[in-house]
Amino acid sequence: MRGVRGFFARLAGLFGRTRQERDMSEELESHIQMHVDDAVRGGMTPEQARREAVRKLGGLDVTKEAVRDRRRLPFFERAWQDLRFAARSLGKNPGFTAVTIATLALGIGANTAIFTVVHAVLIERLPFHEPSRLVAVWEENAQRPGRKNVVAPFNYRRWQERETPFASMAGFYDSRVNLTGDGRPEQLVAQFVMPSFFSTLGTAPMLGRAFAADEGPDGNDQVVILSHGLWQRRFGGDPAVVGRTIQVDRRPVTIVGVMPPRFGLFLKTGTLAGKPADLWEPMVFTEKGAQKSGRYASAIARLKPGETPASAQTKMAAIASALAIQFPERDAGWGIQVVPLHAEIAGEMRSTLLILFGAVGFVLLIACANVAGLLLARGTARVREMAIRTALGAGRGRILSQLLTENLLLALVGGAVGLLLARWGVALLVALSPADLTGLSLLRLSPQVLAFTFLVSVLTAGLCGLAPALAGSRPDVQDSLKDGARSGGASVRTRILRKAFVVSEVALAVVLLVGAGLMLKSLAALGRVHPGFEPEGLLTARVTLSGEQYKEDPPTLRFFAEAVDRAAKIPGVREAGVVSFLPFTGLAAATGFTIVGRPVPPPGEELSTEVRVCDDGYLRAMRIPLLRGRVFTDREMREKTDVVLVSEGFAKQFFPGQDPIGHKLVIDMMEEPPATEIVGVVGDVKHAGLAAEARPMVYWPHPVLVYGGMTLVVRTGSDPAAAAPMLERAIQAIDKDQPLSDVRTMEQWIGASLARERFASMLLLLFAALALTLAAIGIYGVMSYVVGQRTTEMGIRAALGATAPDLRRLILRDGARLLLVGLAIGLPLALAGSRALRSLLYETPAADPATFAVVLGVLAAAALFASWLPARRAARVAPAEALRQS
Amino acid sequence: MAEKTPALRQDVWQGTLALMVLKTLESLGSLHGYGIARRIEQTSGDRLSVNYGTLYPALVKLEQEGYVASEWGVSENNRKAKFYRLTRAGRRQVELETREWERTTAILARFLAPSEGRA
Repeated sequence: MRGVRGFFARLAGLFGRTRQERDMSEELESHIQMHVDDAVRGGMTPEQARREAVRKLGGLDVTKEAVRDRRRLPFFERAWQDLRFAARSLGKNPGFTAVTIATLALGIGANTAIFTVVHAVLIERLPFHEPSRLVAVWEENAQRPGRKNVVAPFNYRRWQERETPFASMAGFYDSRVNLTGDGRPEQLVAQFVMPSFFSTLGTAPMLGRAFAADEGPDGNDQVVILSHGLWQRRFGGDPAVVGRTIQVDRRPVTIVGVMPPRFGLFLKTGTLAGKPADLWEPMVFTEKGAQKSGRYASAIARLKPGETPASAQTKMAAIASALAIQFPERDAGWGIQVVPLHAEIAGEMRSTLLILFGAVGFVLLIACANVAGLLLARGTARVREMAIRTALGAGRGRILSQLLTENLLLALVGGAVGLLLARWGVALLVALSPADLTGLSLLRLSPQVLAFTFLVSVLTAGLCGLAPALAGSRPDVQDSLKDGARSGGASVRTRILRKAFVVSEVALAVVLLVGAGLMLKSLAALGRVHPGFEPEGLLTARVTLSGEQYKEDPPTLRFFAEAVDRAAKIPGVREAGVVSFLPFTGLAAATGFTIVGRPVPPPGEELSTEVRVCDDGYLRAMRIPLLRGRVFTDREMREKTDVVLVSEGFAKQFFPGQDPIGHKLVIDMMEEPPATEIVGVVGDVKHAGLAAEARPMVYWPHPVLVYGGMTLVVRTGSDPAAAAPMLERAIQAIDKDQPLSDVRTMEQWIGASLARERFASMLLLLFAALALTLAAIGIYGVMSYVVGQRTTEMGIRAALGATAPDLRRLILRDGARLLLVGLAIGLPLALAGSRALRSLLYETPAADPATFAVVLGVLAAAALFASWLPARRAARVAPAEALRQS
Repeated sequence: MAEKTPALRQDVWQGTLALMVLKTLESLGSLHGYGIARRIEQTSGDRLSVNYGTLYPALVKLEQEGYVASEWGVSENNRKAKFYRLTRAGRRQVELETREWERTTAILARFLAPSEGRA
């Protein structure tokens, strides 16, 4: 405690120095006077007495210094002194300071920006209670191991009956709904959740209440909970909204609660709506409903205390095996996957982000090497200054602390500027980022991010400053102060260090360039993939019908038939059609089927296919080619018939070497499914993305299975986006209460599906460009330095008859050597690093020779150009001038 | 006189010096730095030869820690001088440190005593 008091007294001692000094001087003076008085009384002369008194004191100045040290905090004082000196000294050299700070700011800023995303996606806890105990529960088909499958309500109910490792569980699914009533009709995403949903996540509504345990069964489900966003946007944040009745899908429901901001659970696997929820409605899986065989739900659960995701996986797998035996016709070949919720949400962004984080770390290392090189050069220029300070009595520690303070100041200012850059960087990242990241609109510079930036800045100061500071604080005083000493003696060590920095920059740049090259090549390969239709000129829009009048099939069919008719009449539109699920939207439907006349496969080995419902206009508008047979007839477009089209892949997989036309399929998509006859074969469509395989697909004419939600597809001659307002008017003319949603061109959909790849490649390209620039600057710097050092030598060589090209070659050879050593280290690193990229690459081997060759070419060009400028200067050296200098 | 004892090691000196100062102030009341130095020298029977100057940082430290307080006054010879006196915390500290010191020396004495404990 006394120590603390002492510390504060000393801290206070930093102020009011004049008074302290006077006080101390007077006290010591009075001490000496008293001593002198005594000594004079003892018989000495006053002069003798005074000398004796000062001697006995141990020297006046030494004593004063000791008192000062004790009175104040010498460490802080020295640090403050160092800091002010550093600021002055850096201010005197604005060019150096600006370049260094800019380099560091770029490196630190890029790191901060990426870290902000990494932190939000991978580190920050989910906004739920004890999020580490939350898991997502999926089914898994033995034929598609590793792939998460949505859950059958039937199985969900069976799990509930057993002893599970879960304290609570909640099933849910989402769907588009229409909000009508006051204002514009609007399509929203509703998550239909079991009442246990909110308690499982451990989040209570901000206003009102959660669903009661008995809410959910038909008739007792007229309640709704709003998301914070919808509440703000549509209801103006009115706290009195609880208790109000609104129209959702033309059904009156009462608002019972509003969730807090940030609350929401969007799982990419299993979503039918493809977007986060705007509101929640209650539901339960009834036994009657669960008897239907479909799998369509998602499930989350909270682990019991003591359970881990791994132990839960083991226990659920045991339950799945038991169910497979008990209900072979439903569950043979089906297992269960338990995924930590955090991993579920971070999903595939995880690997991308980690790669980017690694890459941006390399950029910072290169920036550090560059700054270290600059600091070394500055150190060389300051040898005299350091030597003078050493001669005046500054210890090595003192000089070292001075130099490190300078570096710290540079890094901290660089970090502060980097933070500004990071703010723009984050905005850029959000703009570039794929849809999975859009939930992160709350990306912000949190305290953790600020701490990260600070830490990185300090580390940077150490990393790039230590070696130069060590080298600079050890001047050879004698040599440096000798008259005529030019640029300092201890330069061999410095030169080796500088070259080492440049070599490491080149090596790191190779890694980044290779990474960026591979990503670009892969992106280009993806761009060349033909999706199976012609995306140019297509406009798409989703319509989900709601209301009593569309409960029956005929009005629904009539609505879409009229919509297609009216759309086709829009000026500039060539063809129009509708489909249940558009490619590249992430929405799909698949089911099992049997081929009439073939034995039924044993449970667990059923055949399965993707199923789409469409009209013939869809196939025409998309330009999906008919390969054999025929498309739908007009009658088949109006009436329920028993025909189906299959894709080429379907024909190849299930009818190898046969003509599938005329065969009949029983597709398990509705109750008592009819046998439908294959009348035609159409081209394959890449439905799930350009990189994905086209899966077997069947197309039913719309009347066979009437969906109330369909996507309109319109082929225009030129600019598809321009047709959007006319399309909206055409639909509203049929029924003004039916909103259009997801109005986008097909090319926008495809672009969005490549967002992750584009995101990664754009950033890697940016980082690689930074790396290349910095490495080139580094090479230029060290070669200029070498040329400066060898001016005399060049002069002698020129005097002895070396020509300008000879001299240039000499320097270029030096630069080339740096490049080669850098490449020798960088290439193995790049080979190892590109393996980490493999999961992101499409039809591009990680060790793609062409990419490596291009990278080598680019680097060599940059390196030679960077050495060329100093080499030219070397060749211009006038012999007389150079010799006179020495 | 310098030959009588080797100079105490600096850290030991700083530690013991504080107690000597406190003890001196306890027995003599208010006193200036020069007086304290002379008194310590006399009490040690001139066996301690250290620079008076080392006393002043020690005084600053004791003041910072609140064991002594100081004010300007006039010395017996009519010189203006800064006088130090013990505070209440200082008195407690003297007792405490005295006990500590006695215990330490007692223990050390046993170790240093030539083998009599082992007999």
